Amino acid sequence: MTGTLKLAMRGIVKRFGGVVALDSVDFELRPGEVMALVGDNGAGKSTLIKTLAGAHMPDEGVMELDGTPVRFSSPQDAWSRGVATIFQELALAGKMTIADNIFLGREITRNVAGISFLDRRAMHRRSRELLDELDVVVPDIHTWVEYLSGGQRQGVAIARALNIDADIIVMDEPTAALAVAEVRKVLEFIKTLRRQGKSVVLISHNVQDVFEVSDRITVLRRGQRIGLLETANTTPEEVVGYITGAAAAKRRPAETT
Amino acid sequence: MALLVLCTIFALQSEFFLSERNLTTILRNSVDLGIVCAGMTIVIILGGIDVSVGGILAVSAVLIGRAYQVGMPDWVVVPVGLAAGALLGALNGVIISKSRVPPIVATLGTMYVYLAVLFLVIGGVWISGLPSSLSFLVLGDVAGIPSGALLLAAVYVFAWLLLRRTPWGQRVVAIGCDETAARLVGIRVDRTKIQAYALLGLFAGLAAVLYVARMRNVEVNIGTNIALEAIAATILGGANIRGGVGSLVGALMGVLFIKITQNGLVLIGVSSLWETVVIGSLLVVVLVIDAIETRRAG
Repeated sequence: MTGTLKLAMRGIVKRFGGVVALDSVDFELRPGEVMALVGDNGAGKSTLIKTLAGAHMPDEGVMELDGTPVRFSSPQDAWSRGVATIFQELALAGKMTIADNIFLGREITRNVAGISFLDRRAMHRRSRELLDELDVVVPDIHTWVEYLSGGQRQGVAIARALNIDADIIVMDEPTAALAVAEVRKVLEFIKTLRRQGKSVVLISHNVQDVFEVSDRITVLRRGQRIGLLETANTTPEEVVGYITGAAAAKRRPAETT
Repeated sequence: MALLVLCTIFALQSEFFLSERNLTTILRNSVDLGIVCAGMTIVIILGGIDVSVGGILAVSAVLIGRAYQVGMPDWVVVPVGLAAGALLGALNGVIISKSRVPPIVATLGTMYVYLAVLFLVIGGVWISGLPSSLSFLVLGDVAGIPSGALLLAAVYVFAWLLLRRTPWGQRVVAIGCDETAARLVGIRVDRTKIQAYALLGLFAGLAAVLYVARMRNVEVNIGTNIALEAIAATILGGANIRGGVGSLVGALMGVLFIKITQNGLVLIGVSSLWETVVIGSLLVVVLVIDAIETRRAG
């Protein structure tokens, strides 16, 4: 059923000098699915994500979006094709308001006497809509982002992705360094995105989080995909086994249905 | 607030301080610095700094002086002065954004180059006896309001609209907050930086035009203190030297503070050397408070 794939990466190879970071990796994403991407440090998760985000050009391999071959030359290029990657650093400007951040780089303007002025009212209205859709609770849309909690910042970063109508949202360790209640909130954001029909790639070290929200799990190890599992048909123990290499012997990637 | 206290002290010490003539003098003396300071505030919010504005002002002023000497009319001279300023500012911006040299070092270098140009052209002799055709821009008045004040207001309204009401201003603030983040959302960081430094240069060029219009000569030591005073005024006005935060209104208050201190100290008979001490100490206090707050927050 390859025709229904939202995203397909095939045979991706990325080398850094003599080191092969990605050794012919396949990765796929269906519409409206949450795909977890797990693996040990140095397994190739970041390299794969940076390739998908347009920050790296792969040395070999093809990438298809809705069945059409694509090449991303820059992160902006990827964003403009609807692939929004939210890196751990979030790319938010701390001393700007929530609304200003959501619209950073793509402001709504109003033409007055030939000059484009910011249409703050429209931006505030749209920001509120986006945050409401996601159920992000913030004290005030005029608050500086640096005064928000980690979870709220994730919410703002996701709202920015939704604002450009991204339909693939890649989240890099969104729950790392968050308090328990905040983690819950971010996992709720991911479920909301799935309900809205978005495809989500969730990179995480936390197997518990992965099991709570994902539909499928891709496991990378030493630059190769060693597992593609249906979350419903596997166990945390098995996934950890794949990550550490213990399960490599009884390699059993779940076939796509 | 500090401004009011300062004025009260000087008014009590010298009855001449509050006279209309003295206040107008303060205002006229503030025009050059005020205009440069508007540009400096934007550059500091961007996370940059430019210590070469004095050099830019000097080179523009020399070009203006020479242009007048060869008999060019105002409508040629003024654009030449403005263009020279904008060009030198843009050059700073190009060096800073393309070489990634810290702006304070890069502009320190260009300052020496610009000052060398000044000396080469002027040869240690004042250019004097320039026409007074544009003096009304600073010295005149419109409906009782000194024209210098109107010019200053126009520059600040323009700068404020640009900074707070256009997408360009959003880019400046974003770069000042986090350059990497700005790049990630697709802001053309280098281009924005060059534009901001060019704007500061343009304002320095305008200050040169007004300087020549007011003084009708070009001194050898023109523009010596203006960079540091502009930076001081911006910081006193609440800008964060690390970028992202700053206030044009605050910077204008900072300018008035500096100019009133200079004027008032002379009036109450204190050596003008103390003026530098007062402003310098205040700057240190503001920066230390800021550093303590930052450490507490982070």
